[in-house]
Amino acid sequence: MNADTIHIRMPDLGDVSKAVVVQWLHPIDAHLTEGDDLLEVETEKTTFVIPAPASGRLAAIHMPETTAVTTGQVLGEIEPQ
Amino acid sequence: MALGHGDYGDVLALQRTLHAKRCAGELGDLLLSVEHNPVFTLGRSGMHDHILVAEDTLKQQGIQIHEIERGGDITYHGPGQLVVYPIFDLRGFGKDIHRFIWSLEEAIIQTLSELGIGSARNDGFPGVWVGARKIASIGVYVKNWVTYHGLALNVDVNQAHFRMIRPCGLSIETVSLNDIRDLHMSVAEVGAIVVRQLGALLEKDIVTMDRKEVI
Repeated sequence: MNADTIHIRMPDLGDVSKAVVVQWLHPIDAHLTEGDDLLEVETEKTTFVIPAPASGRLAAIHMPETTAVTTGQVLGEIEPQ
Repeated sequence: MALGHGDYGDVLALQRTLHAKRCAGELGDLLLSVEHNPVFTLGRSGMHDHILVAEDTLKQQGIQIHEIERGGDITYHGPGQLVVYPIFDLRGFGKDIHRFIWSLEEAIIQTLSELGIGSARNDGFPGVWVGARKIASIGVYVKNWVTYHGLALNVDVNQAHFRMIRPCGLSIETVSLNDIRDLHMSVAEVGAIVVRQLGALLEKDIVTMDRKEVI
Protein backbone atom coordinates (compact mmCIF):
# COMPACT_ATOMS: atom_id res chain seq x y z
CA MET A 1 0.00 0.00 0.00
CA ASN A 2 1.23 3.48 -0.83
CA ALA A 3 2.18 5.61 2.19
CA ASP A 4 0.82 8.77 0.54
CA THR A 5 -2.67 7.41 0.05
CA ILE A 6 -5.64 7.52 2.40
CA HIS A 7 -7.05 4.17 3.40
CA ILE A 8 -10.74 3.39 2.93
CA ARG A 9 -11.55 1.29 5.98
CA MET A 10 -14.48 -0.92 6.92
CA PRO A 11 -16.35 1.02 9.65
CA ASP A 12 -17.53 -0.44 12.93
CA LEU A 13 -21.21 -1.30 12.39
CA GLY A 14 -21.83 -2.63 15.89
CA ASP A 15 -21.93 -6.27 16.85
CA VAL A 16 -22.38 -7.62 13.31
CA SER A 17 -21.11 -11.11 12.53
CA LYS A 18 -19.92 -10.65 8.94
CA ALA A 19 -20.11 -8.25 6.02
CA VAL A 20 -19.61 -8.64 2.29
CA VAL A 21 -18.68 -6.05 -0.35
CA VAL A 22 -21.68 -5.77 -2.67
CA GLN A 23 -20.71 -3.05 -5.11
CA TRP A 24 -18.08 -0.37 -5.73
CA LEU A 25 -20.03 2.63 -7.00
CA HIS A 26 -17.01 4.18 -8.78
CA PRO A 27 -14.33 2.58 -11.00
CA ILE A 28 -10.61 2.66 -10.31
CA ASP A 29 -9.06 6.08 -11.15
CA ALA A 30 -12.41 7.85 -10.61
CA HIS A 31 -12.14 11.32 -9.10
CA LEU A 32 -13.98 11.43 -5.79
CA THR A 33 -15.17 14.20 -3.53
CA GLU A 34 -15.06 13.56 0.21
CA GLY A 35 -18.45 12.19 1.29
CA ASP A 36 -19.37 10.72 -2.12
CA ASP A 37 -21.13 7.35 -1.93
CA LEU A 38 -18.20 5.02 -2.64
CA LEU A 39 -19.18 1.40 -2.01
CA GLU A 40 -21.89 -0.75 -0.52
CA VAL A 41 -21.40 -3.57 1.96
CA GLU A 42 -24.12 -5.95 3.09
CA THR A 43 -24.58 -7.36 6.56
CA GLU A 44 -27.50 -8.80 8.50
CA LYS A 45 -30.23 -7.79 6.03
CA THR A 46 -28.70 -4.33 5.73
CA THR A 47 -26.99 -2.59 2.86
CA PHE A 48 -24.58 0.05 4.20
CA VAL A 49 -23.10 2.82 2.05
CA ILE A 50 -19.50 3.74 2.84
CA PRO A 51 -18.61 7.31 1.84
CA ALA A 52 -15.29 8.47 0.39
CA PRO A 53 -13.10 9.48 3.37
CA ALA A 54 -11.27 12.13 1.29
CA SER A 55 -11.26 13.87 -2.08
CA GLY A 56 -8.95 12.46 -4.72
CA ARG A 57 -8.40 9.60 -7.12
CA LEU A 58 -9.59 6.08 -6.33
CA ALA A 59 -6.13 4.54 -6.51
CA ALA A 60 -6.77 0.96 -5.40
CA ILE A 61 -9.55 -1.50 -4.65
CA HIS A 62 -8.27 -4.23 -2.32
CA MET A 63 -11.59 -5.87 -1.53
CA PRO A 64 -13.58 -6.53 -4.71
CA GLU A 65 -17.26 -7.39 -4.90
CA THR A 66 -18.40 -10.55 -3.02
CA THR A 67 -15.35 -10.40 -0.66
CA ALA A 68 -16.03 -10.88 3.07
CA VAL A 69 -14.66 -8.02 5.19
CA THR A 70 -14.17 -7.22 8.87
CA THR A 71 -14.16 -4.03 10.94
CA GLY A 72 -11.09 -1.84 10.36
CA GLN A 73 -9.95 -3.73 7.26
CA VAL A 74 -8.52 -1.61 4.41
CA LEU A 75 -10.94 -1.86 1.48
CA GLY A 76 -9.17 0.47 -0.92
CA GLU A 77 -7.04 3.60 -1.20
CA ILE A 78 -7.55 7.21 -2.29
CA GLU A 79 -4.71 9.34 -3.61
CA PRO A 80 -5.46 12.87 -2.37
CA GLN A 81 -5.55 15.62 -5.00
CA MET B 1 -46.94 8.42 9.80
CA ALA B 2 -49.65 6.06 8.51
CA LEU B 3 -49.97 6.33 4.72
CA GLY B 4 -52.84 3.82 4.25
CA HIS B 5 -52.67 2.24 0.78
CA GLY B 6 -49.69 3.39 -1.26
CA ASP B 7 -48.16 2.78 -4.68
CA TYR B 8 -44.66 1.35 -4.23
CA GLY B 9 -42.92 3.87 -6.50
CA ASP B 10 -44.61 6.86 -4.82
CA VAL B 11 -43.70 5.65 -1.33
CA LEU B 12 -40.11 4.87 -2.39
CA ALA B 13 -39.77 8.46 -3.67
CA LEU B 14 -41.25 9.72 -0.40
CA GLN B 15 -38.74 7.61 1.59
CA ARG B 16 -35.83 9.05 -0.39
CA THR B 17 -37.10 12.61 0.19
CA LEU B 18 -37.56 12.02 3.91
CA HIS B 19 -34.17 10.29 4.13
CA ALA B 20 -32.48 13.37 2.61
CA LYS B 21 -34.35 15.65 5.04
CA ARG B 22 -33.44 13.44 7.99
CA CYS B 23 -29.77 13.45 6.91
CA ALA B 24 -29.91 17.26 6.70
CA GLY B 25 -31.38 17.43 10.21
CA GLU B 26 -34.64 18.95 8.94
CA LEU B 27 -36.74 16.15 10.43
CA GLY B 28 -36.64 13.84 13.45
CA ASP B 29 -36.78 10.04 13.27
CA LEU B 30 -39.84 8.71 11.46
CA LEU B 31 -41.77 5.47 11.04
CA LEU B 32 -43.86 5.21 7.87
CA SER B 33 -46.52 2.51 7.81
CA VAL B 34 -48.15 1.55 4.54
CA GLU B 35 -50.02 -1.20 2.70
CA HIS B 36 -48.73 -1.46 -0.88
CA ASN B 37 -50.43 -2.28 -4.13
CA PRO B 38 -49.08 -5.63 -5.45
CA VAL B 39 -45.38 -5.40 -6.29
CA PHE B 40 -42.27 -7.59 -6.48
CA THR B 41 -39.11 -5.84 -5.34
CA LEU B 42 -35.65 -7.04 -6.25
CA GLY B 43 -32.76 -6.11 -3.95
CA ARG B 44 -29.11 -5.82 -4.98
CA SER B 45 -28.71 -9.58 -5.17
CA GLY B 46 -32.18 -10.11 -6.65
CA MET B 47 -32.54 -12.27 -9.74
CA HIS B 48 -35.30 -11.97 -12.30
CA ASP B 49 -35.41 -15.76 -12.69
CA HIS B 50 -36.74 -15.94 -9.14
CA ILE B 51 -40.00 -14.68 -10.66
CA LEU B 52 -41.73 -17.89 -11.65
CA VAL B 53 -44.48 -16.57 -13.93
CA ALA B 54 -44.50 -14.73 -17.26
CA GLU B 55 -44.47 -10.94 -17.37
CA ASP B 56 -47.87 -10.97 -19.10
CA THR B 57 -49.35 -12.80 -16.11
CA LEU B 58 -47.98 -10.12 -13.80
CA LYS B 59 -49.45 -7.37 -15.96
CA GLN B 60 -52.86 -9.10 -16.03
CA GLN B 61 -52.80 -9.30 -12.23
CA GLY B 62 -51.63 -5.71 -11.85
CA ILE B 63 -48.33 -6.68 -10.18
CA GLN B 64 -45.43 -4.25 -10.68
CA ILE B 65 -41.67 -5.01 -10.50
CA HIS B 66 -39.18 -2.60 -8.90
CA GLU B 67 -35.40 -2.99 -8.69
CA ILE B 68 -34.20 -1.26 -5.55
CA GLU B 69 -31.10 -0.55 -3.49
CA ARG B 70 -31.80 -2.55 -0.34
CA GLY B 71 -29.96 -5.77 0.40
CA GLY B 72 -31.43 -9.16 -0.29
CA ASP B 73 -33.15 -10.90 -3.17
CA ILE B 74 -36.79 -10.77 -4.24
CA THR B 75 -39.83 -10.17 -2.08
CA TYR B 76 -43.50 -9.41 -2.47
CA HIS B 77 -45.54 -6.55 -1.07
CA GLY B 78 -49.28 -6.25 -1.46
CA PRO B 79 -52.68 -5.79 0.12
CA GLY B 80 -53.00 -7.42 3.54
CA GLN B 81 -49.34 -6.87 4.37
CA LEU B 82 -48.11 -4.31 6.90
CA VAL B 83 -44.96 -2.50 5.74
CA VAL B 84 -43.06 -0.23 8.14
CA TYR B 85 -40.20 1.97 6.96
CA PRO B 86 -38.07 3.53 9.71
CA ILE B 87 -36.25 6.70 8.63
CA PHE B 88 -33.99 6.48 11.63
CA ASP B 89 -30.64 8.06 12.48
CA LEU B 90 -28.44 5.27 13.90
CA ARG B 91 -26.04 7.86 15.34
CA GLY B 92 -28.62 8.22 18.13
CA PHE B 93 -28.60 4.41 18.56
CA GLY B 94 -24.91 3.72 19.07
CA LYS B 95 -24.33 3.19 15.31
CA ASP B 96 -25.32 -0.39 16.05
CA ILE B 97 -26.87 -2.04 12.99
CA HIS B 98 -27.09 -5.42 14.71
CA ARG B 99 -29.17 -3.96 17.57
CA PHE B 100 -31.36 -2.04 15.10
CA ILE B 101 -32.17 -5.16 13.04
CA TRP B 102 -32.69 -7.15 16.23
CA SER B 103 -35.17 -4.47 17.36
CA LEU B 104 -37.18 -4.68 14.13
CA GLU B 105 -37.40 -8.46 14.49
CA GLU B 106 -38.24 -8.17 18.18
CA ALA B 107 -41.09 -5.71 17.49
CA ILE B 108 -42.67 -8.31 15.19
CA ILE B 109 -42.08 -11.18 17.63
CA GLN B 110 -43.59 -9.17 20.52
CA THR B 111 -46.57 -8.08 18.40
CA LEU B 112 -47.33 -11.68 17.44
CA SER B 113 -46.88 -12.74 21.06
CA GLU B 114 -49.50 -10.16 22.14
CA LEU B 115 -51.83 -11.80 19.62
CA GLY B 116 -51.15 -15.29 20.98
CA ILE B 117 -48.79 -16.41 18.20
CA GLY B 118 -45.33 -17.80 18.93
CA SER B 119 -42.62 -16.79 16.44
CA ALA B 120 -38.83 -16.72 16.31
CA ARG B 121 -35.69 -15.77 14.44
CA ASN B 122 -34.15 -18.55 12.35
CA ASP B 123 -30.33 -18.60 12.25
CA GLY B 124 -29.07 -18.19 8.72
CA PHE B 125 -32.53 -17.43 7.37
CA PRO B 126 -33.48 -13.73 7.65
CA GLY B 127 -36.89 -12.59 8.84
CA VAL B 128 -39.35 -13.83 11.45
CA TRP B 129 -40.74 -17.34 11.31
CA VAL B 130 -43.71 -19.26 12.69
CA GLY B 131 -42.37 -22.79 12.73
CA ALA B 132 -41.01 -23.46 9.23
CA ARG B 133 -43.11 -20.72 7.62
CA LYS B 134 -41.97 -17.15 7.12
CA ILE B 135 -44.32 -14.42 8.36
CA ALA B 136 -42.13 -11.30 8.10
CA SER B 137 -39.21 -10.00 6.03
CA ILE B 138 -36.58 -7.40 6.82
CA GLY B 139 -34.35 -5.40 4.47
CA VAL B 140 -32.72 -2.09 5.37
CA TYR B 141 -30.57 0.46 3.53
CA VAL B 142 -28.24 2.75 5.51
CA LYS B 143 -26.69 5.87 4.06
CA ASN B 144 -25.10 8.60 6.19
CA TRP B 145 -26.10 6.41 9.16
CA VAL B 146 -29.79 7.06 8.38
CA THR B 147 -31.97 4.06 7.50
CA TYR B 148 -34.74 3.49 5.00
CA HIS B 149 -36.62 0.46 3.70
CA GLY B 150 -37.64 -1.75 6.65
CA LEU B 151 -39.97 -4.61 7.57
CA ALA B 152 -42.98 -6.37 6.05
CA LEU B 153 -45.39 -8.47 8.13
CA ASN B 154 -48.02 -10.67 6.46
CA VAL B 155 -51.39 -9.99 8.08
CA ASP B 156 -53.78 -11.36 5.47
CA VAL B 157 -51.87 -11.68 2.20
CA ASN B 158 -52.88 -13.37 -1.06
CA GLN B 159 -50.54 -16.39 -0.85
CA ALA B 160 -51.01 -17.05 -4.58
CA HIS B 161 -48.93 -13.93 -5.24
CA PHE B 162 -46.09 -15.26 -3.04
CA ARG B 163 -46.14 -18.52 -4.99
CA MET B 164 -45.22 -16.56 -8.14
CA ILE B 165 -41.69 -16.02 -6.77
CA ARG B 166 -38.94 -17.73 -4.83
CA PRO B 167 -39.02 -15.34 -1.84
CA CYS B 168 -35.48 -14.21 -0.94
CA GLY B 169 -34.32 -16.70 -3.60
CA LEU B 170 -35.37 -19.60 -1.37
CA SER B 171 -37.96 -22.32 -1.69
CA ILE B 172 -39.84 -21.32 1.43
CA GLU B 173 -43.43 -21.26 2.50
CA THR B 174 -44.88 -17.98 3.71
CA VAL B 175 -47.81 -17.51 6.05
CA SER B 176 -50.12 -14.72 7.21
CA LEU B 177 -51.16 -13.86 10.75
CA ASN B 178 -54.85 -14.44 9.94
CA ASP B 179 -54.05 -17.93 8.57
CA ILE B 180 -52.64 -18.96 11.94
CA ARG B 181 -55.29 -17.41 14.16
CA ASP B 182 -58.50 -16.16 12.63
CA LEU B 183 -58.40 -12.80 14.40
CA HIS B 184 -59.81 -10.78 11.48
CA MET B 185 -57.31 -8.05 12.23
CA SER B 186 -56.77 -5.23 9.78
CA VAL B 187 -53.32 -4.09 8.67
CA ALA B 188 -53.93 -0.78 10.49
CA GLU B 189 -54.75 -2.55 13.78
CA VAL B 190 -51.62 -4.71 13.59
CA GLY B 191 -49.60 -1.67 12.51
CA ALA B 192 -50.59 0.21 15.66
CA ILE B 193 -49.15 -2.61 17.82
CA VAL B 194 -45.93 -2.92 15.78
CA VAL B 195 -45.35 0.85 15.94
CA ARG B 196 -45.92 0.86 19.72
CA GLN B 197 -43.45 -2.02 20.13
CA LEU B 198 -40.90 -0.31 17.88
CA GLY B 199 -41.20 2.92 19.86
CA ALA B 200 -40.29 1.06 23.05
CA LEU B 201 -37.43 -0.91 21.46
CA LEU B 202 -35.93 2.10 19.67
CA GLU B 203 -36.42 4.18 22.85
CA LYS B 204 -38.64 6.78 21.17
CA ASP B 205 -41.96 8.39 22.09
CA ILE B 206 -44.34 7.90 19.18
CA VAL B 207 -46.30 10.89 17.86
CA THR B 208 -48.79 10.17 15.08
CA MET B 209 -48.62 12.59 12.15
CA ASP B 210 -50.08 12.75 8.67
CA ARG B 211 -48.15 13.32 5.45
CA LYS B 212 -49.00 17.04 5.24
CA GLU B 213 -47.55 17.70 8.68
CA VAL B 214 -44.22 16.12 7.74
CA ILE B 215 -43.52 17.57 4.26
